[in-house]
Amino acid sequence: MNKCGRVERVDGKYRRGGRGDGETQEKLSVWEHYLAMEIAIEFKACLYFFAILFFYCMYRLLIGNAQASILHMAEMIFLTYGMGYVQVYLLSGFDEGERLGMKECLYLVLCSLIYAGISFYAGWFGRVIWVSILFFLYAAFLYVCVFAVYKSKRKIDDKIMNENLRMFQARRADYAERD
Amino acid sequence: MKYTLERIPEGEDEVILRYCQMTPEVERIWNLLHGNQRRLTGWKGKTRVVVDVDKILYIESVDSRTYAYTSEDVFAVDDTLNKLGQFLNAVNFFRCSKSMIINIDKVQSLKSLPSNRIEAVMCNGEHVMISRTYASDFRKRLKGGRGDE
Repeated sequence: MNKCGRVERVDGKYRRGGRGDGETQEKLSVWEHYLAMEIAIEFKACLYFFAILFFYCMYRLLIGNAQASILHMAEMIFLTYGMGYVQVYLLSGFDEGERLGMKECLYLVLCSLIYAGISFYAGWFGRVIWVSILFFLYAAFLYVCVFAVYKSKRKIDDKIMNENLRMFQARRADYAERD
Repeated sequence: MKYTLERIPEGEDEVILRYCQMTPEVERIWNLLHGNQRRLTGWKGKTRVVVDVDKILYIESVDSRTYAYTSEDVFAVDDTLNKLGQFLNAVNFFRCSKSMIINIDKVQSLKSLPSNRIEAVMCNGEHVMISRTYASDFRKRLKGGRGDE
């Protein structure tokens, strides 16, 4: 099938290509859909990983150690990646939700607890309980920030989309007038 | 635009419109070719009705039946959603989910939702969901592309 249209020339004759079901728009394939989800999860993992890494580095500096453990960093990236899956597939992507209601707050506390618990178990912060509590609060704050960022991103997106819609409708009205 | 006329010894006459972008010029030719299809025939009860496609807000498929909705009325259409989408997509309609085609000209406002979905508020106040599968094509379409390339 050619790049531009859904019609191709076969054996000197033009034939309609595509699925032949009259569908003229292209839907995302299962693979593309999976890929989009995977990219979103990886993006989420990177975002949370860097935020956690920042907290970890600050902690290390405060205790007078300017070195970070590669093992801890590997644990962090695997954990954030796994949590990305949990958030998207089990907790309905609450950090990207439309509102921060009761259910979302519960998920937020649960995920922050998981992060704090695993950090304590893995000894990222020397198994000091008050640092783990501080890390729990930091993780909760992080979720609130991510929620706010996604929400404001959608607000900007709304403005752009509605502007494009107005332009589309104006263009159509213009063509109709000319016709 | 390049024009090609090809005489064929036998068979059905055929017009093929090849385009990369749906420019106003291409769209005018398309409308000229489909001039008689700017109206949709359907059924309201047992009465046959003819409706201008520009008056339709959206077309929906429910239980294997196709219904077209205007601001005041609903009527059943004989054609399937896929068949209707084939010619309506070239004008101001857009396939927004598996079971629905909306008239973009009748959209009052849009709202971005989580998981890359879009909520469209129609001019009669109804809310229609544009699924994430079709959302990126919809955005392209609004920006001036066809969204199906």
